[in-house]
Amino acid sequence: MPESKEIRERMIRIAEIIIEELKLEDITPKSFDPDMDLVDELGVDSMDLATVALVLQDEYGVFIDEDDYPKLKTVRLIAEYVQSRLQGRKDRDS
Amino acid sequence: MSKVAQRMETLKKRMRDDGNQTMMAKTAIEPRMEPSRHGGSEMNPLHGRLKFSELLSDPEVKTRWEKVRKYFFLRESTYDMSNRCNLRCDGCYYYEGEKQFAEENRDPEAWRALMQAEKARGITYVVLAGAEPSLVPELLKACFEEMPLGCIATNGVRRIDPSVGYKIHISVWGNDATSLRVRRADKLLDRQIENYRGDPRAVFVYTFTRENIGEAAEIADGLASAGCRFTFNVFSSPVGYSGPLRHDPSSLIRTREMMVKIMARHPGHVLYSPYGAAAHTHERGLHELYGCSYPRMNSSTEIGLGRSFRQFRTDLTWDRAAACCVPDTDCADCRHYAAGSAVVTARLYRHATDPRAFRSWLDYVDTYLAVWVMGYEKGENLCEEMVSPPGHAEIGKRS
Repeated sequence: MPESKEIRERMIRIAEIIIEELKLEDITPKSFDPDMDLVDELGVDSMDLATVALVLQDEYGVFIDEDDYPKLKTVRLIAEYVQSRLQGRKDRDS
Repeated sequence: MSKVAQRMETLKKRMRDDGNQTMMAKTAIEPRMEPSRHGGSEMNPLHGRLKFSELLSDPEVKTRWEKVRKYFFLRESTYDMSNRCNLRCDGCYYYEGEKQFAEENRDPEAWRALMQAEKARGITYVVLAGAEPSLVPELLKACFEEMPLGCIATNGVRRIDPSVGYKIHISVWGNDATSLRVRRADKLLDRQIENYRGDPRAVFVYTFTRENIGEAAEIADGLASAGCRFTFNVFSSPVGYSGPLRHDPSSLIRTREMMVKIMARHPGHVLYSPYGAAAHTHERGLHELYGCSYPRMNSSTEIGLGRSFRQFRTDLTWDRAAACCVPDTDCADCRHYAAGSAVVTARLYRHATDPRAFRSWLDYVDTYLAVWVMGYEKGENLCEEMVSPPGHAEIGKRS
């Protein structure tokens, strides 16, 4: 299924947050591979992920459960997770 | 070099370059309010948490956060160096369980190769412990040459060569009479101070047992007058131990009160915080309060300590089922300072809820880094109140 513009933009924004929070060098939001494994390939650890999760929580106003951190292994998975949380909130509100 | 190793090197370099410029908490920075994206100081409507950006809008908090987060690259593992010790203490963790029977590998080249392999899998910090690392100086040297960040847990009887630039934790279990009785060592504190007075590597670790709480003040006075820095540990029983050192609810309260008294009396020498006292003297142990993240109690291998931590025995093997920083401790009774350094720190999310909890967590992390990392200086505590661990009743009240 082709990615929607919304998902693409969200992945770029998430990449931007990761780059900023983890102070990554030699990579830009647009060149960030959304399927790169953050743990295996980038060496992201639990404290890094907790930091990113707190910033994402602020950004999107969604709750990111501590137990879900292991699921957030790529930018794409994070974007999908945020999307599902936003959708869940929308469904509850409607 | 892999991307992971590259990133670790970049982070370490950044830490060195910064040279701890942020080490003093009260630096003169301009207050910079960071309005949250959703404006004002609105609470998250879903869960009643304060936003992270709002917690960081306090300049003092923001400075401390930036100071401690530089060290998030630390990934630890621990190593038993020798199966020998020049003391034999009651309640010793090393001489419990299977690990004490592992053969010693005394080949520095084998240890060097292990350190290289550890580095390759992302480990950046080593804790060299049991039984008594000072008895194998050639192995300490080999480890330090390969892995520059780490700590040695020693009884302090024998001085470790200054060329080994790790933090050195010297265990103190009470006054001379107590040391003689529990550790069979005469005038131990004098010998420890003589070996490590003025040594920037040294942190004396006073372990509170049920029996030695009243002695802590005089020991603290002695250490402070000798210019030594110290921190606190809380005795955590080995599996099956029910002897006189094991804490009970009353001794935990008395320990907490003594910690507070000593912190007030020796603020320049004690490395600790009110939240440390709250977390480590709570009636419930660390696992119950925070959920231990070491492999022994954590089956997940996805991320964090469950993925990366190993506890190597003297024969350089390891066993995931037994892996934690104080193996053979009764997990339900674990209040160990080394365990807390990882277990409490890992729960950033649970503390990033309100200013007091977050300041307390920052104090805790700031303390742990000062205790464990060479060159890191502790700032003043940001929260002088004793805040309860997240989700638990106020200290002293049953949750």
